[in-house]
Amino acid sequence: MIRVTGLRKRFGNSEILKGIDFEVPPQTVLGVIGASGSGKSTLLRCLNGLETISGGSVEVDKVRLEAGLSPADYRRRVKDLRLKVGTVFQHFYLFPHLSVIGNIIEAPVHVLRTSKKKAEDEAYELLESVGLKQAARRYPGSLSGGEQQRVAIARALAMHPALLLLDEPTSALDPRRIHSLRALLRKFVERGHTMIIISHSMGFLGGVSDNILFMEGGVAVEYGPTDDVLQSPKDARTKDFLEQAE
Amino acid sequence: MPLKSTKSAKLFFRIFCVVLWLCGVVEAQERVLRWGADPSGGAPYVFTDPANPDRYIGYEKEMVDALAQAMGRRAEFVPSDWETLVSALQRKSFDVIVNGLEPTGDRAQQILFSKPYYIFQLQLTVRADDNRIHSLDDCKNRVVATLGNTAASRILQQQGIPFRSYADPVGAYRDLELKRIDAALFDVPAEAFYARPNPKLKPAGPPFTRGQYVIGLRKDDLALKAAIDTAIDKIILDGTLETILKKWGLWNDAQVEYEAPIRSGTQSTKVEEYTTTNATFNWREALWRLTRAAAVTVLIALGAMVIAIVLGLPLAVGQWKGPPWLRLFCTLYVEFFRGTPVLVQLLFLYFGLPVIGIAMPGWLTALVGLGLNYAAYESQVYRASLEAIAVGQWEAAYSLGMGPLLAFRRIILPQAFRIALPPMTNDFVSLFKDTSVAFAISVWELATAYRELANASGQFLLLGVAVSAFYLAMSLPMAHLARMLERRLSERTTARTVEEPEVATA
Repeated sequence: MIRVTGLRKRFGNSEILKGIDFEVPPQTVLGVIGASGSGKSTLLRCLNGLETISGGSVEVDKVRLEAGLSPADYRRRVKDLRLKVGTVFQHFYLFPHLSVIGNIIEAPVHVLRTSKKKAEDEAYELLESVGLKQAARRYPGSLSGGEQQRVAIARALAMHPALLLLDEPTSALDPRRIHSLRALLRKFVERGHTMIIISHSMGFLGGVSDNILFMEGGVAVEYGPTDDVLQSPKDARTKDFLEQAE
Repeated sequence: MPLKSTKSAKLFFRIFCVVLWLCGVVEAQERVLRWGADPSGGAPYVFTDPANPDRYIGYEKEMVDALAQAMGRRAEFVPSDWETLVSALQRKSFDVIVNGLEPTGDRAQQILFSKPYYIFQLQLTVRADDNRIHSLDDCKNRVVATLGNTAASRILQQQGIPFRSYADPVGAYRDLELKRIDAALFDVPAEAFYARPNPKLKPAGPPFTRGQYVIGLRKDDLALKAAIDTAIDKIILDGTLETILKKWGLWNDAQVEYEAPIRSGTQSTKVEEYTTTNATFNWREALWRLTRAAAVTVLIALGAMVIAIVLGLPLAVGQWKGPPWLRLFCTLYVEFFRGTPVLVQLLFLYFGLPVIGIAMPGWLTALVGLGLNYAAYESQVYRASLEAIAVGQWEAAYSLGMGPLLAFRRIILPQAFRIALPPMTNDFVSLFKDTSVAFAISVWELATAYRELANASGQFLLLGVAVSAFYLAMSLPMAHLARMLERRLSERTTARTVEEPEVATA
């Protein structure tokens, strides 16, 4: 179970997240929407421990990160949390000096201490499922944006995360590839993965997410099943946002 | 009377011109005698007066003053460098060399000699507690210090004794004290001044061989040679030279024997009365010595490189991510080594550190000194390269569960290395060349070898070409290797940029 409770994040005097609560049931996808500056990227960075949280808590698969822990405890929890959460960054950040297969087995071999053989076998399976088995020995610099993204997904999934975060996964894709990404992600959900996806593309989220969270000004304005939120939003702010987005 | 006044003005003008001309003649006759010598560590010949540092003193200074007076000239001292005295004379930087110069066959080809004015002997010096060395025969397998291109150095060379050339006796006797060498062989005047008062040193055996000090002149300066010879006779006859030598404690039997025939007016015309040593120069020997020098250069450069690479990284990381005190320390280190000349740093390490008990041999001093110096430069290359890696690379590594150390070692460092490689290559090629500063601390590397061999042979051009070839033979493969490595690294990451058709995934 993924549970976010009263999550707050302050940078100096400005509060970016003003108490966010939501849950993501296992094997579902939560789509997060909101204008730029609404706090959705900060939310994501709090979920994978790249930002320290100022208040409330984040719980992923029994690892609970909360404000007010001692620095040492906090660091330990962040380490545990990162093993539970995988991230696909907007710009992927593949490691350019490592081959595709090297990118995928890097963390399993050096963090989880999986044997290289086993890690490579799993990596090939993952590459097969993202359709890039033939690119295993290539280097990121020679891949297209879509290919890089699928390597980044495989790299994150190789760590068997309980939660996969995707930041603006459609920003670099053309419509045909958005369609195939949606199919790919749904395939992984059916295999048991849980995801949070930040996106500006309502069409994409409509087809991939089970629930939608709308954020504005650091507040979770509306949360509900995808169709409910996108088709008949309850809050006037959600309505405004969706109208402008179209 | 306008006409008359014009006439007298003209007359006045003519007289004025004649007076001016006469003044010129007198001025010309009252010419200066410019003499060149190396005053650094030059006691008792000519050296800076410790009590009055803008004045030079020494027995040769007093002798030249006496000679000049006898010639009706005014002596003017031109401080110069021992190794390049002959070429400076030929470039007319001064008129004569008066610096304990010996008449040798190879010098005779280049310059003219006056008659001798002093008979010198050689003295071997060892540490006071040394019981192994009693004469030159005990030095077969030891390193002996001496002045480059002198009778002493040539005797050592002839006897096959390994020796190290020094630019002045001060450094040689200090290194002897510090056990960097086993013995030092110098002319008695220098030995008497620098070694004998030092309780840590003692003479090994009695003084030996006899050689002459003469004054060196340009080949075509025959008139000056005649004037100088006459003047030497004059100051011997009137006892001026004896007085000066006695004052400096240099008067001995050898001088008595030499001056006796001149004083009694029965001097022979024979010039080569005593043994003169000739430099033996052959190209095979020279190339062999250059090769050895090149090996030392490579050793220093590679060793310094290892220190620079290894030490540069912690400096870079410390300055980049360290706590404030460490950042301050690293910054101070970098600014100190970048902001002061490497030559000064080497001299400090070589002569300064022994004061607190650390006396490294010359080659090691050069290796460590250049290593410490280049570490400062490398740290800045590393730091810039590390900072050039996108923050996203760190975050990607962290989000995969890597700790800072693992992320640094596996993700950041390899990428930074690629960025750092070209400037590093550049630095290391110049490190090869910077090893030449080691000549300041008497390390026998290529630049020292060039200077000494060329001074001994006069083959500045040919040896210069040979030495340049050696340097290029070292730096070109190095640059080539680095380029190959760069190409291989970049080929791997950017090869096959051709887009392959996207395969549908579901």
